[in-house]
Amino acid sequence: MRRTFLLEIVMVAAAVAFLFPVYTLVSLSLKDPAQISQTPLALPSPPTFDNFGKAWTAAALGPSLVNSTVITVASLVALIALGSFAAYFLARVQTRLGYGLYILFLLGIVLPFQLGMIPLYELVTGLGLIGTHAGMILFYTGIQLPFTVFLYTGFIRALPRDYASAAQIDGASHLTAFTRVVFPLLRPITGTVLILNAVFIWNDFFTPLLYLGGSGFETVPVSVFAFVGQYVSDHGLVFAGLVLGALPIVGVFLALQRYVIKGFSSGLKG
Amino acid sequence: MTSVKRSRLTSPPWLFAAPALVVYALVVLYPAASGVVYAFTDWSGIGQDMSFVGLDNFATLLGDEQATGSIGNTLLLTVAIMLVQNGVGLLLALGVNAKLKSRALLRVIFFAPVVVSPVMVAFLWKYVYNPDPSAGLNGLLGLQVDWLGDPSVALWSIAGMVVWQYAGYSMVIFLAGLEGVPRELHEAAMIDGAGTFQRFRYVTWPLLAPAVTINLMLSTIGGLKLFDQVFAATNGGPGYATETLSTVLYKQAFVFGKFGYSTAVALVLALFVAAVSLVQVYYLRGREVTA
Amino acid sequence: MTDLRNARVSRGQFFRMMGGLAVAAAATACSTKPQTTATTGGQPAATELKFVGVADQKAPMDKLVAAYQKVKPGVRLTTSFAPTDQVQTSVRTQLGAGNAPDLHVVYPGNGSAMSMSQIAKAGLLADLSDQAWTQTIPDGFKPAFQLDGKTYMHSAGSTVIGAIYNKKVFEKAGVDTLPTTWSEFLAACDKLKKAGLAPIALGAQTPWVTQLITYALVPSTVYAKDPTFDDKQLAGQADFAGSGWREAMEMYLELQKRGFFNDNPNGTTFEQQISLVATGKAGMAIQVSAVLPDFRKAAASADDLSMFPVPGADRADAVWIPAGVVVGLGASAKGANAAEAKAFVDFLGKQESINAWAETISAIPLTQDASSAIDPAVQSFLPFTKDRAVPFMDQRWPNAEVQPVHFAVVQELLAGKSTIDEALKKMDEAYQK
Repeated sequence: MRRTFLLEIVMVAAAVAFLFPVYTLVSLSLKDPAQISQTPLALPSPPTFDNFGKAWTAAALGPSLVNSTVITVASLVALIALGSFAAYFLARVQTRLGYGLYILFLLGIVLPFQLGMIPLYELVTGLGLIGTHAGMILFYTGIQLPFTVFLYTGFIRALPRDYASAAQIDGASHLTAFTRVVFPLLRPITGTVLILNAVFIWNDFFTPLLYLGGSGFETVPVSVFAFVGQYVSDHGLVFAGLVLGALPIVGVFLALQRYVIKGFSSGLKG
Repeated sequence: MTSVKRSRLTSPPWLFAAPALVVYALVVLYPAASGVVYAFTDWSGIGQDMSFVGLDNFATLLGDEQATGSIGNTLLLTVAIMLVQNGVGLLLALGVNAKLKSRALLRVIFFAPVVVSPVMVAFLWKYVYNPDPSAGLNGLLGLQVDWLGDPSVALWSIAGMVVWQYAGYSMVIFLAGLEGVPRELHEAAMIDGAGTFQRFRYVTWPLLAPAVTINLMLSTIGGLKLFDQVFAATNGGPGYATETLSTVLYKQAFVFGKFGYSTAVALVLALFVAAVSLVQVYYLRGREVTA
Repeated sequence: MTDLRNARVSRGQFFRMMGGLAVAAAATACSTKPQTTATTGGQPAATELKFVGVADQKAPMDKLVAAYQKVKPGVRLTTSFAPTDQVQTSVRTQLGAGNAPDLHVVYPGNGSAMSMSQIAKAGLLADLSDQAWTQTIPDGFKPAFQLDGKTYMHSAGSTVIGAIYNKKVFEKAGVDTLPTTWSEFLAACDKLKKAGLAPIALGAQTPWVTQLITYALVPSTVYAKDPTFDDKQLAGQADFAGSGWREAMEMYLELQKRGFFNDNPNGTTFEQQISLVATGKAGMAIQVSAVLPDFRKAAASADDLSMFPVPGADRADAVWIPAGVVVGLGASAKGANAAEAKAFVDFLGKQESINAWAETISAIPLTQDASSAIDPAVQSFLPFTKDRAVPFMDQRWPNAEVQPVHFAVVQELLAGKSTIDEALKKMDEAYQK
């Protein structure tokens, strides 16, 4: 047991070192400018919460939280629905065409997003979706489908076919077989899809800036960076803004950490 | 469960894939396909003036020191991130997988940075990397390194920042792989007198192969396409020391007003990513075993 | 080759029809349409104008948008601000896709992707020449506002580059008189250094900061000797390598060699540069006057900070200074609300608006009347503005590549990874592209 104890000490030490940037972030957000320049490493004494008050008002985070939540949740629902159905087809179809279609989806993972940026913007403008939640939801659903389809297809291929087959022999349609039998079996990978996409969508900065900037429908990162850009020289204030911007997703993560970590990896064993 | 003959089964109808295909085509394929056209033009990115220049942009790319130099940086950064992130991730996973009292807490701590926006992380690290000997990392370690300002250090500093954020990502995937290693195998090896390292080398490691594959692939694609962190931390500088393919294509399009050329660079990057991932999958899948 | 772009646009329209289905689905899935955020309360405004700008413009814009609301309650302006790089990317994309905001940030002159010349050349900026204020643009500033004699940009005035210094630090180090020649400047730096301080704070990790010292010196080393240098360079009769640019680079590096900068300037950001001067760890920073408010915010007392021109010559009367037009805005040529957008620009061109904008960012108002207030910190620059001031160099450069190359070579020089010869050669190559 001594070895476990030693290992425990090593690991805890590693964790403490690992937390240093977080300590920097939080302690600076609780200091006034004088403390930051004189004692940058020390604990804030006394801590001041002024930065948080100012950052909350100036960055107008309240409405942004609602926007981010609506966009993230709706995109996730669409991704899981479209992605799992498509993957079920792609994993089970045995024609060359089906395989080609799968490769076509994978192509989306390697394409740099800059390639289609201007035509896509024209398209979203043409659809009248600039500055709306719907435009962002459409964008995220499309842009994250390749990865989602990739994860689901890999998982479904590894599932025994027998479950769905048995259901079908019982006379169920493909639709019923999928929704009643197969989809519940996909829970582990659905967890992974949910978490990876949620993290990406919630944190994305450039596209919402491009599509939502000035619409009054800005997401949290857009509001935070507008704020940060304006107060660059005041580290305490900027860091308070960053803490506020990261808090919602870190909070959700901490509250659900058991499921998040499990869900994250359960579909990714290879 | 009684098995059913495959021949009796029908595949699911095309309709299952149709909605996804429509959205994917609309948001990714059609824009990318129309975007590719620009690679063969001299379009500035705005206005109506544009003419076809054939393969000129690709020829320019070959002679463009900045672009070819950035390929080297991209590869170095990718290899560094791939090795260190996965190495650290594996060590963390092995540590956390042992029966520690604090294992749940440790897992949470190491994974937490994964959920935060990379741009915010870069913002924070820019301060942590501040050259002031009394603040940030220098203050903590008593060093005087100019982390982001010294051209021979900056690229590695960026790699360090990325590893900090994503080592937990690798860790969690390795952990899932470790959970799949049957305890009996370890016990059998122990009875045979195998030491810790031998048990890792001959029992754990081969069974981790699928986790290794997925980790290497994710970190390689992530490394090759890395943009936000470089852009926010150094914007390619000092000089051209941290310029990568992604920052070059960004600058060509939006700073220099050479959208056509930028698209050519983007195409080259896409081919790069595709080629590297194909080779990896082909090679790594070959050595996988299953428990 | 315009036909191809037109063809592509019509393909977009084709997809508009094709996409109808997806839109209908998306719209029903999420029926949260923008309506709730109207600040005018209840009544929807008649016209809505959208402005996208850089973070530096927020303070003056907020003020003037509020003022405009009172003059024209029927027009509602929604504004969004973000850091320069992001704005550049998003506005360029919007311009490229033919859907520019009604009003957006425009950089003066030429030489950057968002500059007046580049965007106006593409036909995307509304011609403002019929507005009264455009008649009063001082001659020296015309190239910043005008292309082929037509005005496409509004800006409230000019900003100078000089040394923002901490008075208390200068006093403590015994620098009693402000330097007016290069040797006096070096002597002052020496005194500061002997007092144990960094004489000059340099935040060269932030790319645009790298150029300011060269810009501060080049007016004296190049333009004082040859005011027509820009025209000669454009005509191919002059270049960087064979001009006073070399001298300016040498002076830049001399400052470094003598240990007058803070340690590790390449790793130091603009924000840290501010805090070094504001907290008295460094004596001064060579900066644009437009960032004075940022320095003042960070200092214990705003009065601690003032400015003086950087003397780039050994005779006081041979010193010239850089005075550039501050970042401005333009109206989209193609927007549905072009007339209303232009009306807002006309409002910004009024003397009170110019005064209000200039005051917020410590700029010298474009035109002045009795109520124009000029920041006391920039008073010492006024004697130069008549005939010994030149616009920022990039505003006359022919393409957007020279400026980023200048940033990069300065960082390389500071890191000791390059020579002045190589640096100027790279800049000349970029100029010729």
